[in-house]
Amino acid sequence: MVNAIKGVFVSCDIPMTQFIVNMNNSMPPSQKFIIHVLDSTHLFVQPHVEQMIRSAISDFRDQNSYEKPTS
Amino acid sequence: MPQVKIIAKNFMDMVASLPAIKLDKLYNNVFICEAILRSLPPLAKKYVLQMLYIDVPVPATMMEEWVLADGTSKHRVAIDRLIQLRIFSEISDRKRGTSYSLNPTFQNNLQKHIISGGVLPREPMNSDNAIKLPSLQELETYALKQWECFLLQLINSGQGEKLTGISSSMMKIFQRGLLSQRDKDGPRLTESGFQFLLMDTNAQLWYIIREYILNAEERDVDPADLISFLLELSFHVTGQAYNLNTLTEVQNNTLKDLADLGLVKLQQGRKDSWFIPTKLATNLSVSLADSSARKEGFVVMETNFRMYAYSTSKLQCEILRLFARIEYQLPNLIACAITKESLYNAFDNGITSDQIITFLQQNSHPRCADRVPSIPENVTDQIRLWETDLQRIEMTQAHFYDEFPSKDVFEAACDFAREWRGLLWEDSKRMRLVVKSEVHNQMREFLHTQSR
Repeated sequence: MVNAIKGVFVSCDIPMTQFIVNMNNSMPPSQKFIIHVLDSTHLFVQPHVEQMIRSAISDFRDQNSYEKPTS
Repeated sequence: MPQVKIIAKNFMDMVASLPAIKLDKLYNNVFICEAILRSLPPLAKKYVLQMLYIDVPVPATMMEEWVLADGTSKHRVAIDRLIQLRIFSEISDRKRGTSYSLNPTFQNNLQKHIISGGVLPREPMNSDNAIKLPSLQELETYALKQWECFLLQLINSGQGEKLTGISSSMMKIFQRGLLSQRDKDGPRLTESGFQFLLMDTNAQLWYIIREYILNAEERDVDPADLISFLLELSFHVTGQAYNLNTLTEVQNNTLKDLADLGLVKLQQGRKDSWFIPTKLATNLSVSLADSSARKEGFVVMETNFRMYAYSTSKLQCEILRLFARIEYQLPNLIACAITKESLYNAFDNGITSDQIITFLQQNSHPRCADRVPSIPENVTDQIRLWETDLQRIEMTQAHFYDEFPSKDVFEAACDFAREWRGLLWEDSKRMRLVVKSEVHNQMREFLHTQSR
């Protein structure tokens, strides 16, 4: 019988994929969220982690930004 | 998701949406008839004037002979418009086919209007020494200042400063399609809101007036009365004083709101109170195509991402703040910079790079506007690149399928998913498949049939 799993299909560039895989690896086992690494640019992840991934990417982007203080 | 754009329609689309009884009531006013005649497409105007003294229905086939062959589509548009506004009644007869006749109320009032000439709904007050009226220039300055204060309050509802007398509930109605209501950060301008700010003044005014009219019944005001009064107002002379004692209570209340928008100026003497229409009011019956006056640009964009806006306007400063970092606000100069962080703030609100670039191009200072390109390419390219950086990752709710019993079943499933436009990814070696969640139910039923 064909098996079906619900989740979120992630499509992005290679560095971003590596960022997400690394993020998954740094999680404790109970919080790992990648169901399948499909290829170098596609992932299949748990349904509930979409916002978490977006926040993590946003934080990562902010760490690489400097905003001059408004005097 | 197709973005629903704000379409700035004029009065006539609202008139066309009124029920027949209210339309006939509206057409009792000769000024409404003239305003509507003015708003018609050229061919429709011709038909109305041509049939003004014809009391019997005119066959459709005869009217088709009035136009050349290549005018058929314009003919159709004109007829449709006249029927929408109920100026034309369509009569269908089996023997003689379709005929059109003019709305009798509309016809009679227009005839009267043409014969007796335009007597204003109310006479201007006698200008003696007791009344000092503002000059036309002062009036225009006042109108634009009021309108700008209104727009500032419209997009800055988070701030406590109250700039106009418009009530909070009314302001929320106007903001409904322009600001997103996030409780946490307060309302923020949306893509539609930014697009609204990019419109010219007349188009913005139509949007606001339309919301005002659509909301009329919630205030126990008849929309037809409101439309009637507003169109009547557009026939008043700019700069002339008109006594308030000629108005009904509803009209008085409406006038107070219009004063806040800059359409009229209210003044008070010892005995009398009066209102003075501004250019904004007299523009109300002008069709959208006629108002092609272009604002002069004020933005100088440099290749180092610094921007200088030669403007005294607080509103322009707030618009720039939506996507740029304001460095200095001098009396007639705003120095700012386009930064990645300021743009991300704009993108987060749903404002797009295309909108920002269009704004910069349209408001380019005359000395820069002639340059090709008017905005440096490195700036426009970088704005687009920063936007795409936000879109590096795509996420789609999906289902993952594996453990297919055979190659044939797998390939049939792929074809099925493709037909439903749900196929996201496939691996034919290991027979694995990812399909959009929307298509999951269809997939499940399909796979059931395959297993029989």
